[in-house]
Amino acid sequence: MDVSVIFPSKNRECYIKRAVKTAFKAKHVTEVIVVDGGSRDRTIELAKRMGAKVIVQSDLTYPGKGIAMRDGAYLSRGDVLVYLDVDIRNLTPDFVEKLTEPIINGEAEFVKGCFERAAGRVTELVAKPLLRMFYPKLARFKQPLSGEIAGLRKLFYKVNFERGWGVDVGLLIDFYKLGVRIVERDIGYKDHDMKPLYALTDMAYEVATAILKRAVKDHIIDAQWAERYLKDVKKLDFGEFEEGFA
Amino acid sequence: MRTVLIGGGSHSAYFAINAVREIDPYGRLVVIEFTSEKVDVLSRMFPFAELIRLDIDEVDSYVRSNSSIIDVVITATESDALNLRYCKMSKENAIPIIISIINNPLNAKIFADEGITYVINPYDFIHRELAEILEADVNILYRFHKTDILLASIKISKDALLHYLRKEIGKSHDLSAIFVSKTGEVTNSIDKVGLGWKAYLIGTRLTVEQILKNVRWL
Repeated sequence: MDVSVIFPSKNRECYIKRAVKTAFKAKHVTEVIVVDGGSRDRTIELAKRMGAKVIVQSDLTYPGKGIAMRDGAYLSRGDVLVYLDVDIRNLTPDFVEKLTEPIINGEAEFVKGCFERAAGRVTELVAKPLLRMFYPKLARFKQPLSGEIAGLRKLFYKVNFERGWGVDVGLLIDFYKLGVRIVERDIGYKDHDMKPLYALTDMAYEVATAILKRAVKDHIIDAQWAERYLKDVKKLDFGEFEEGFA
Repeated sequence: MRTVLIGGGSHSAYFAINAVREIDPYGRLVVIEFTSEKVDVLSRMFPFAELIRLDIDEVDSYVRSNSSIIDVVITATESDALNLRYCKMSKENAIPIIISIINNPLNAKIFADEGITYVINPYDFIHRELAEILEADVNILYRFHKTDILLASIKISKDALLHYLRKEIGKSHDLSAIFVSKTGEVTNSIDKVGLGWKAYLIGTRLTVEQILKNVRWL
């Protein structure tokens, strides 16, 4: 089985060279794809120099991680796709191999990576409670928002990618509903930058939206209720207060 | 001519389908789309085209098995990743003409690096139009894809420039020009031209580019 490794990235010139080089060293890897969100630094140049295929995302504005992942899947030719963050400081070929092993051995079709650290704040406070309410079987995953994943390429063509941060949990739920065999695999310690608290608001909102949207579609949440209350949430989000609200 | 257009659901595809129909009314146009809903809509919109629904991976085998009878492949999906993939696959299958309508101008070079000759960048005209409206000193109006011909305009703002053009146009055999005054008067004789006129040059790329380069230094 051929493996394609996909790195969504933007302005990551200090990480890209090492990331591409390391990915190529992993077993079965035949191509490395960098989906660039319109970098203004040397990310694209360095990625190409290291032998990666590069594509710039399809919108002029940065359309989000989900669309980057979708474009990576579209460009790839391998039987198995691996998605990794480009800014993992301790990235080794082992990361790729641990993710692909269950698929190559026929134990799973989709692998969710988890790592040796406490799950993030959005995971614990948003994703897990919502999954426990609406998709309890998925609440057993230690890190349902992990971006380190692997799966059979053909599976990624059967689902719609969320545009932004909801993509990882969205894929998990969609694959679960398709009856895909999913396992979680510990990939070891991951050394990368944590987001500051203020940057998590948008992320939490997108993750919650991705889960709730699916719950409505699957008739777990009443559509009329969602129409009324989620619209109100959106209004608040954009600051469109009703008259007299204050 | 048998044309296969991949990705019928995008905005650019709408214009491309109509253009192909107009250019080649008796040709066969096959439009490949990935979702059955879009295929239904498109088949009603474009009854003259043959609509096919294929999965993303099935397009490769369709083109491969029909490569001997396909004259043109146009990729117009909403993802440049997919456009690039299908262009490369069409190239591997020796399709005579491969055209990609890209979504993001930043990807134009990537397509060129992969040897895709005909890349249509829908944003390309913005610079050209602005330069024409705002009367830039020089403006490349069109680079012809299939011939090495270039069409450009130059604002004649200095005597030195007028003398230079007079000399170049007189001696070049691969260059033609017409001139338009501010009041709309048109002539093909540079002797009637004064300052403030605009020259429209058409000629071989090398000659016109050399003139534009020199004009910038005058």
